[in-house]
Amino acid sequence: MITKLSNSKFLIPAMVTLVILATGAGFYISLKQSQNQLVQNNETRGLFWPNPKQIKNFSAKDHNGNAFELSNISGKWSFIFFGYTNCPDICPITMSVMANVYQHLVSYYENIQIIFVTVDPERDTTEKLSSYISFFDQDFVGLSGAPAIENSLTRQIGIPYYYNKKKENNNYLVDHSASIFVIDPKTRLIAKLSPPHQPEKIIEQFKKIKRFIDAKD
Amino acid sequence: MQKINGLILIFIILLNTSIVLAEDISEIDISHLWISEAPPTVSVLVAYVTLKNNSIKTASLISVSSPLFSSIEIHRSIVKDDVASMERYSSLTIPAKSTIKLLPGDYHLMLFNPKTPLEIGDRPTLTFTFSNGVKIPVKAHVKKRKYNEH
Repeated sequence: MITKLSNSKFLIPAMVTLVILATGAGFYISLKQSQNQLVQNNETRGLFWPNPKQIKNFSAKDHNGNAFELSNISGKWSFIFFGYTNCPDICPITMSVMANVYQHLVSYYENIQIIFVTVDPERDTTEKLSSYISFFDQDFVGLSGAPAIENSLTRQIGIPYYYNKKKENNNYLVDHSASIFVIDPKTRLIAKLSPPHQPEKIIEQFKKIKRFIDAKD
Repeated sequence: MQKINGLILIFIILLNTSIVLAEDISEIDISHLWISEAPPTVSVLVAYVTLKNNSIKTASLISVSSPLFSSIEIHRSIVKDDVASMERYSSLTIPAKSTIKLLPGDYHLMLFNPKTPLEIGDRPTLTFTFSNGVKIPVKAHVKKRKYNEH
């Protein structure tokens, strides 16, 4: 608490809190309020609150060919990015950012999971996904499965994607969401982090989101 | 004295000639050409480059080629309303006396179907062809992408 208070961003809510505390009333409520204000003030624009979507069961296949479903995201903070391995620019930029974010967050939290979901399962085989994922971080999870299938993560989260298919070859491009989605340990879709992505920004945003959710629950 | 003047004259002529020649050669400077290291199974790689037009005429990059890839295209990444897409360009105009940088998240070269996977330290050659017929082969560096390289 002391370290939190020393942070200048916390100064005003902290002072308000202290004043109320000094009058001997409503400490708990004011702390709650100050945290609420924090989330709104610090542009956690993508926060889905107060009605986050509850993710329902889904069945996907991970990059090792194993079944991956709701129980695999339960109890964890999952960061999910949708892309395809033949995307040479935006996807690897985002994955490199997430590798950096992950390396930072795992030293503080135990239940962090980074998931890459392909929107191009036709070309992204399990083998391709496996090689792609481990290139960025051995701990990352790669998911495939028909994106249009009922209850797929792609559909539940509402990810836009579009195939620019050409007749002459297999080098088609796919337009897709560039956002990173955060699912909390209670498998609620909590936030959408919009590009451009920078590790520092994501880490800071995540810490605020986590603090906010931890205080709510 | 006249002899010396003559020598100086010849020297000046030679110097000027070499300057003119040098200008001809470096009408366009191609630098910082690098290919991002990628998982060995991906079939599209990306290259970034800096193109500097030293001349007083507009230059236009019309193609990039290499026997290592089935094709190379000029693309630009666009992120609009949180959706990422790419636009393909048939050429890239470099105005007179200006520099264009192809950078991560923006303009880039798409390298399709590498014949062999590239590793850090490899130096594949890409040939840049301009609308005036000039062809410039350049050796690229294969490097690891840094998350903050923009």
